[in-house]
Amino acid sequence: MIEAGMSDVNPYYLGAFVLYLVLVLGIGVWGYTRTENVLDFWVFGQGMGPTLATWSLIANFVSSVSVIGFIGAVYVEGYSLMTHTILGLMVGISGLYFVVGKIRALDVLTLPDLVAEVTGYRVARPISGSVLLANAWLYLIMQLVGASLLITAITGVPYEYMVWVIGAVFILYTVLGGLVSVAWTDLVQGLLMVGAVLITLAYMTFDIGSFSAISAEFAAVDEAFVHPTYDGTYTAIAIAASLIAFFGTIFTEQNNIVRIAATKDIRTAKIHLAAAGVVLSVFYSLLIVLGGATTVALFDAGLTVDDPDAAFPVLITDYVPTEIGVIIILAVMSAILSTTDTRLHATGITTARDLYQYFKPQAGEERLMKVSRIATVVFGVTATAVAVNPPGTIIELYNLRAVLLTSAFLIPVYLAIYWTDLDGRAVVGAVTAGALLGLGTDLIAGGIGPVPAVFIGLGVATIVLLVGHYLFGQEATPDTSPMSD
Amino acid sequence: MTIIGMPESMFIVFALTVIGGSLGAIHYTVVHVLLGKPFADEED
Repeated sequence: MIEAGMSDVNPYYLGAFVLYLVLVLGIGVWGYTRTENVLDFWVFGQGMGPTLATWSLIANFVSSVSVIGFIGAVYVEGYSLMTHTILGLMVGISGLYFVVGKIRALDVLTLPDLVAEVTGYRVARPISGSVLLANAWLYLIMQLVGASLLITAITGVPYEYMVWVIGAVFILYTVLGGLVSVAWTDLVQGLLMVGAVLITLAYMTFDIGSFSAISAEFAAVDEAFVHPTYDGTYTAIAIAASLIAFFGTIFTEQNNIVRIAATKDIRTAKIHLAAAGVVLSVFYSLLIVLGGATTVALFDAGLTVDDPDAAFPVLITDYVPTEIGVIIILAVMSAILSTTDTRLHATGITTARDLYQYFKPQAGEERLMKVSRIATVVFGVTATAVAVNPPGTIIELYNLRAVLLTSAFLIPVYLAIYWTDLDGRAVVGAVTAGALLGLGTDLIAGGIGPVPAVFIGLGVATIVLLVGHYLFGQEATPDTSPMSD
Repeated sequence: MTIIGMPESMFIVFALTVIGGSLGAIHYTVVHVLLGKPFADEED
């Protein structure tokens, strides 16, 4: 059982939390009335405009992992998180921008659709769908753990109750309104979150003296905190492996492909990545500086935390005044719910479309909607049950899924989009080999010798792809042209 | 030398991150807004 800091119930914090839950449930009910068919539920009827798409991406991106986990990471290893993680994520968003026109033109709904389209083999759908479901489920668990730890620390309600309250609320509104609910709650949550981090940073800047004083005092706590590699702790190869793993997740997250399918045209698909890239790169830069300010404030106040993930919650409960605390708790709730509901929605569409519809191609619309909703409930409830007693820390799970996704999909799928003669069987083989070797070596020892797991996964996928293409390429292959309909 | 309280090398990483995240916006502004290039779908 997870042990969380227990404090007395703060009526203002608890009130803000309850009010917030009522608001998102209201949006869920409204979304239900706007969902007429399965495409509304899955991809917003493919009519999402630039504003909703942009804020949906931003809100989904900034999760409890990034608010609590990233501030916790800065508390331990300073600004080096920028060098080995955030830089990769931001360049990844720009990278996806440059290929999004091609993806949107293929008119696929999900990542397994994309794999099936570029390989010509529909069996690729359930194979890649299974990898994505494993990823989504891991992600749900770590989000719930992060959310519940935080809300428990802040409201004083015991963890084992809180995890079920939070789980039930987001399952309910995702099941009700699908992507319509998810996108509109994302818009509210994204704005709230960016606003709250700016307000908190402004408060801390005023508290510490000036913006540059934050980093100067952070360096005074430990000089290595403001060193790009944490004073050489991160080697060049470790930084390169981490950057590539996080760069790759942008291209291989099911929800990013589903959101591209939901945009109404290529123009919207491009705008949402271009705009979100700017907002997120500025937001994360400020969030990391806020991590520095948090460390300085706790250090100066003589507050120490054993678990780095508790640094930000302690700042809220023991340092800032209640008015600022209420704003932060709403923002963090937003960060958590907006990411979790997106992943949960992705499990519904992956199960119904990539698994169920593959085996039951004649399934009607009502049936698919029902399967989506049942899958959403099953994955949501099981993830909540596991989150009561989780198998690893948040950051461990976060890194593991980055290696899995990037190893499996990055090279085979994106190479096949442009190399139209690439043999489909070689692509399916490379996805499978990359997933198994990347995940396997990461779980066993984090890699083989000095070579990080993500390089092994990518290397094996590339070798299988090229050798497979050479061996199979001599024979005629089925429909391998990605642009054919 | 420090810039906004952090060493130059750290500031460069922050700057690279913001530029890296903004590459799409820069391309979009130059190619589609200033040069007016249509999108692929402008040329079940």
